Amino acid sequence: MEKGFDIGQAMNEANRCLLCHDAPCSKNCPAGTDPAKFIKKLRFKNITGAIRTVKTNNILGGACGVLCPTARLCEKECVSKGLDKPIQIGRIQRALIEHSWKINFSPLKKGEPNGKKVAVIGAGPAGLACSAQLAKDGFEVAVFDEHASAGGVLGFGVPNHRFDNKFLERELEDLKGLGVRFKFNTPVKTKDAFSDLKKDGYNAVFVGVGLWNATSLKKGAALEGLFTSVDFLEASKSDDKKVKDVVKGRRVAVIGGGSVAIDCAESCLELGASDVYLVYRRAFQQMPAELDERVSAQMSGVQFLLLNQPLDYISKAGRIAGVRLVRTELGPVDATGRRSPVEVKNSEWTLSADVVIEAIGNEPDAMVKEAIPAKFTGRGLLNVSDETLETSMKGVFAGGDIARGPALIVNAIADGKKAAAEIKKFVNGGGSL
Amino acid sequence: MTSNPNLAVDFCGVKFKNPFMLSSSPVSNTGEMVGRSFDAGWGGVAFKTVTVDRAHIIHPSPRMEGYHYGDQRLVGLQNVEQVSDRKLKDNLKDISQLKKRWPDHVVMVSIMGFSNEEWRMLAKASEDSGADLLELNFSCPHMTIEGSGYKVGQAFHLLEQYTAEVRKVVKIPIVAKMTPNITDMNEPALYAKKGGADAIAAINTIRGIASVGLDDLVPSPNVGGKGAISGYSGPAVKPVALRFIAEMAKNKELGLPISGMGGVETWIDALEFILLGATTVQVTTGIIHYGYGIIEDILEGLTDYMVSKGVRDIGELVGKALPNLHETSEFNLKRQGRADYDMTRCIGCGQCYTVCQDAGGQALTWDAAKRRPVMDEDKCLSCMVCNFVCPVEGMIKYKEMPLGWKRKDAPVL
Repeated sequence: MEKGFDIGQAMNEANRCLLCHDAPCSKNCPAGTDPAKFIKKLRFKNITGAIRTVKTNNILGGACGVLCPTARLCEKECVSKGLDKPIQIGRIQRALIEHSWKINFSPLKKGEPNGKKVAVIGAGPAGLACSAQLAKDGFEVAVFDEHASAGGVLGFGVPNHRFDNKFLERELEDLKGLGVRFKFNTPVKTKDAFSDLKKDGYNAVFVGVGLWNATSLKKGAALEGLFTSVDFLEASKSDDKKVKDVVKGRRVAVIGGGSVAIDCAESCLELGASDVYLVYRRAFQQMPAELDERVSAQMSGVQFLLLNQPLDYISKAGRIAGVRLVRTELGPVDATGRRSPVEVKNSEWTLSADVVIEAIGNEPDAMVKEAIPAKFTGRGLLNVSDETLETSMKGVFAGGDIARGPALIVNAIADGKKAAAEIKKFVNGGGSL
Repeated sequence: MTSNPNLAVDFCGVKFKNPFMLSSSPVSNTGEMVGRSFDAGWGGVAFKTVTVDRAHIIHPSPRMEGYHYGDQRLVGLQNVEQVSDRKLKDNLKDISQLKKRWPDHVVMVSIMGFSNEEWRMLAKASEDSGADLLELNFSCPHMTIEGSGYKVGQAFHLLEQYTAEVRKVVKIPIVAKMTPNITDMNEPALYAKKGGADAIAAINTIRGIASVGLDDLVPSPNVGGKGAISGYSGPAVKPVALRFIAEMAKNKELGLPISGMGGVETWIDALEFILLGATTVQVTTGIIHYGYGIIEDILEGLTDYMVSKGVRDIGELVGKALPNLHETSEFNLKRQGRADYDMTRCIGCGQCYTVCQDAGGQALTWDAAKRRPVMDEDKCLSCMVCNFVCPVEGMIKYKEMPLGWKRKDAPVL
């Protein structure tokens, strides 16, 4: 994980801030972290106040400082660009949180108990943001997660070179002071799960289970050397030697053009892969991954095989041996607003590879639908009201990827905060499951 | 246009190749250091105040504290530095070696005694060692020994007396170095003149406190758990220094040449001292921050300025700005103006709007859709605060309005 600013460097960066009258940075943070406010506080040497602003507005302020694509959010409209370059808001935010750990300052306080109980399903960014807000408001919050620890995608889906688990663990400690209870290794996936929650006296439920089923071109194929991004990243973050042995010295093909694909490709290089090819069916311009991620992947040695559509996998004796590809060219703009890939006739070829990692998107776990008797959309996402984030079930709210589809951590946090406010309204209004 | 302007000056009959000197401080502590500064281009030195061995000077530890503003280091420097802690004979040897090895550089020796005899002895010994001038230190702001330093500078008769004692025993010019820790520097300067001083040096450091430790509650520098009011210098004191220089330079009764100092770092700072009446200019804090090398840019910048203005001799610039310095009562209040914005250059931070609302004439409104300020010209007070906070250099300028233009009155609540 890259080294961050120390508090002195952060203060110097804050000194470049123009303290805009109507700060565009703050308008462009989906999670409402309010950079203009914490930068101004830092500028006036109110360090603890600045930490309070970040942490109160964004329970995962440190993680967001590290991982957020700030160039297209808060820093995008930074007025300092008119002079030179934008204020490095993400780095300031991260420095404040790391400094809070250094000086042992936590501004979070548990609210006066109001006797109400909320169950949060999923300990990812949406669930954590929702829990933190509810706990501050005096709710008794229990968080259920099928994993053995909290963080969701932060803990299992972002490679170590980008985001250290120690950093996550430290940030999660900040939640302890709020009295949020975690129930790990506890999937809420049975048919009776919801009626059990009602029996247990929960007044409302927040569902933020995310999308954990990786899409595969070859569902159910048990080929040695074929991984989904979810399995690969989770294994590569753990001390699982097997994954490292599989990748070391091998030729790897990563399928996909998003941030997760880039994460997989860079992780393979870190694990000692001899060659890493990133296979994407459109061109560089259409890749969903952030520009800086794309550039840094290329700089570190990931070979981009653009305008190539995977057709099938070649195997020998149950082992991956290569990827069957067909060349594409850019066609008309499709529904995603990007130019679509059109196959070039008679251009099929085979890329030999020992390992293939599929990073072509995630979909909901089929069991989620089983467990939650609410309405789902055609894409398999939970159908929620835009206004309240309530599902078709009374008292059951949802946010994050399971409700909005694949999105950023800040979007999940925004949902969690919004849902917490709506749950508060709902419960205070006498509502119950 | 002149291609090779002359930077040499005559100060009390002593020739300087350029007017720039190290002032008496840690930067002029030893002959070795001063020699290197001469090689770097400095024209002279006020050798760090020598005293009598019986004073037995021991420096507090630590002895300085920086004062920072934002990411700008050392806009000020707080110090409890004492006079030289070296043996008198070592200092005198260094002084005589400096004159031997760098004969075309000026060595002014700063001295401080604690009795008539000591002042005389130090003056004579310095002259005998080859000093070109003497600087009488009447101004150290934090002496650990009573009856010395700035306390002499505040006791005018004592100041005159010591000056006269020195005058009795030496032929070389005497420069009295003044403390700014008084109301009017002209008064002690006149006493120094009466005692026989040939010139005035100013300002010494201003008594101050740079900061207070928030955990130990000790003002800085924290010397073993104790703080003290001590000398404050650096760019932050320059405006105060310029004021004292100008007040003395304008005083016809005084009529002595001035060696100016206080916050000089660049050729522009140095030139401002000269324009307000300093013949030579001394530097310490700038050197403490950046080293002797800043002299290169002082000399080059000043030379280029003189070339661009067609000034042949730097002496022509001494006091050149004084005729424009008036009492505020002499201002022509009929001439009024306002701030004038070049909106093509605005980047939309809105700081002008904030300050105009809270510190100015509420002449600006904020167009939220366009993210730009809009001015009601007739309300502008021409305080120009908006210009001071605007990050786009030169975007906001002062514009004089035609005679008879009337500003709207501020509304009554």
